[in-house]
Amino acid sequence: MQRILVVLALAILFFSASCEPDPPISCDTCPEEPVDRAISGPSTPLDYSLEVPDYLPAPILDEANPLTVEGIELGRRLFYDKIMGRDSAFACADCHQQDKAFTDGRALAAGIDGRLGTRSTMSIVNLAFNPNGFHWDGAFGKLWEQAIHPVENMLEMDEDWENVLIRLRRSDDYPERFRAAFGISRTSEITQELAVKAIAQFEMTIISADSHFDRVVYQNSEFFTEEEQLGADSLFFVEDVPVGTLHPGCGHCHNAPSFGDNRFKNNGLDAVSSLDDFSDKGLGEVSGSRFDNGKFRTPTLRNIALTAPYMHDGRFATLEEVLDHYAAGGHGVENEDPNITGFSLNDRQKAALLAFLKSLTDESLIEDSRFSSPFE
Amino acid sequence: MKSYFYFLLPLLLLIVSCEDDDDPVSTEAELSIAFRGEFGEDDLAIQSATYDYPTGEQLKVLLFQYYLSDLELLPADGGDAVRLSDIELIRWMSATEGPVATKTYTVPTGDYQGIRFGLGVKPELNAQDPNNSPADGTLNENEFWNASARYVFAKIEANADMEGDGVFDTPLTYHMGSDALYTTITFTQDFSLDGSNDPQLTIISDVLAALSDGNNTFDISDADQQRVHGGNQAIASDIWNRLANQFELEVR
Ligand code: HEC
Ligand code: HEC
Repeated sequence: MQRILVVLALAILFFSASCEPDPPISCDTCPEEPVDRAISGPSTPLDYSLEVPDYLPAPILDEANPLTVEGIELGRRLFYDKIMGRDSAFACADCHQQDKAFTDGRALAAGIDGRLGTRSTMSIVNLAFNPNGFHWDGAFGKLWEQAIHPVENMLEMDEDWENVLIRLRRSDDYPERFRAAFGISRTSEITQELAVKAIAQFEMTIISADSHFDRVVYQNSEFFTEEEQLGADSLFFVEDVPVGTLHPGCGHCHNAPSFGDNRFKNNGLDAVSSLDDFSDKGLGEVSGSRFDNGKFRTPTLRNIALTAPYMHDGRFATLEEVLDHYAAGGHGVENEDPNITGFSLNDRQKAALLAFLKSLTDESLIEDSRFSSPFE
Repeated sequence: MKSYFYFLLPLLLLIVSCEDDDDPVSTEAELSIAFRGEFGEDDLAIQSATYDYPTGEQLKVLLFQYYLSDLELLPADGGDAVRLSDIELIRWMSATEGPVATKTYTVPTGDYQGIRFGLGVKPELNAQDPNNSPADGTLNENEFWNASARYVFAKIEANADMEGDGVFDTPLTYHMGSDALYTTITFTQDFSLDGSNDPQLTIISDVLAALSDGNNTFDISDADQQRVHGGNQAIASDIWNRLANQFELEVR
């Protein structure tokens, strides 16, 4: 086996050595293509090992995009840099804002020129634990493939990747950073793939696991208030109820420690008369099956108090509205998840469940300088 | 021309390097075991099929899953069982998947007299916490109740039309599990594996058979019997017993 690996590596080396650098891209409307220049500086990235607290599951690493210190740092810059958007005027971070746990406070995302999208911005924490495809509908299998899309989406950053690449290659800073992260030697070797892989490396490091809940349950350094305790023990997680009693059962789909199972479900939002009538088909659009219409990925509830409005289309402004929705118990649509049953909630219980949800806020996440803008 | 040489060189080396590793007689076979889901006489189709329930209601099944522990082949000579897997989660949850899920294992060739597994999560693994499992692991938190109730061994979830009005608006969820429910299931059946022309092994499980054995049918019209989670295991004990009794092994 060892031997085969060595031979393969040799073969790959020979191949890559015989390759010419990519030809320059042509683009009529683009600024003039700069000369392809050699890049100097360090070119051996340092492996980065993603540490997560032991009360979380092991993260899912992408072998096709190993994490490195330089790759993560480059990705962070690209994430915050407006040169990724049209006219160098829009960044990922304009929608994914750290102080709102990387959301934007809007029901529907607003891109360049305030153009409204069709879905609500997702919080991009703990993506390293998602096995099931990204976006509300799971449209993207790999995290780095996802990052291609916001740049060219006309409702988001509305830019041609060709233009972005030209700006990156011309920059007096980025070429050295790309070399440091990926070992390239010429500006023409800066590609879309390397840019999105760097962004994904940065996103993988955004781990949120230091909320009051974690400190109470896993770190044993704080205590629940009576109200939070009631919300946790008797409502959010509880299954052990008297026969026939309905219960919130949030834990069925939002179990600790991730608080979102990342599976695709219809959680009872829309009163459609047929499966073909959902205005946003969600997973059905991706899988092609009408039985998947109206199913969306169960997101994490970590930092939920920071990420209003709620659901894929931001239809609920507050967590109270979310609880009212679940208490009402869906609309009897045939593909609704059977764990959506409705339940009754008195004012005290409602306050308790809200207090519990608020205990999932990780105050250190929104201050963590590793995740903040490198330009400020 | 030059690049041809570089292409051929590693290939040559590969061939040369493979030879001395090769064993003259193959002692291992790839065994694939098919897990087929059924509902009565029909293949299990998630959501897309409408099934008649013995007491007159209709069902659309949204989820059927169970854990298997210590899946093992039993050698004909009575020797030590061959462990194929410590834990598997067999699951039907999507209209885009067929009724058969296949798992493949590498096993010694030879004569066997049966196959054995535990239905559920064996106590040793049931004592572990989900954070010991990777996020995409078989024993992740999604099938875990809590520190005292531990893993959910099997789930049946469906939406029922109780009134015959074509509206499937009565949710049914049966979540079962506990160390006490763990059940070992053994099939006695001779088969031989030699790496070629091996038989196809299929383990069949029938959702309807877990709910009804013809004489006794679980009463889904009773509002107290529409949800069994965590604490109410007693209500589902006959579902569990029927589930454990209905597995079939097909060797073709
Ligand atoms: C105009 C606002 C906007 C901008 C700009 C934007 N996003 Fe998003 N982001 C969204 C919305 C809306 C979604 C949900 C999309 C969907 O489900 O269709 C999303 C989803 C995501 C997700 C999926 C998270 C998950 O859990 O599946 C990732 C990752 C992400 N964005 C990263 C980025 C990156 C990287 C950039 C910059 C290259 C970026 N976003 C730019 C609004 C934006
Ligand atoms: C059957 C699985 C299921 C159950 C049970 C469930 N949820 Fe959800 N939850 C989902 C899904 C799926 C979504 C995403 C739905 C969408 O946007 O279309 C979601 C979304 C949410 C959101 C919005 C998240 C965001 O980022 O916008 C909140 C808040 C929420 N759920 C809270 C709860 C609470 C509280 C409970 C218990 C009362 C609960 N959920 C029970 C599946 C479930």
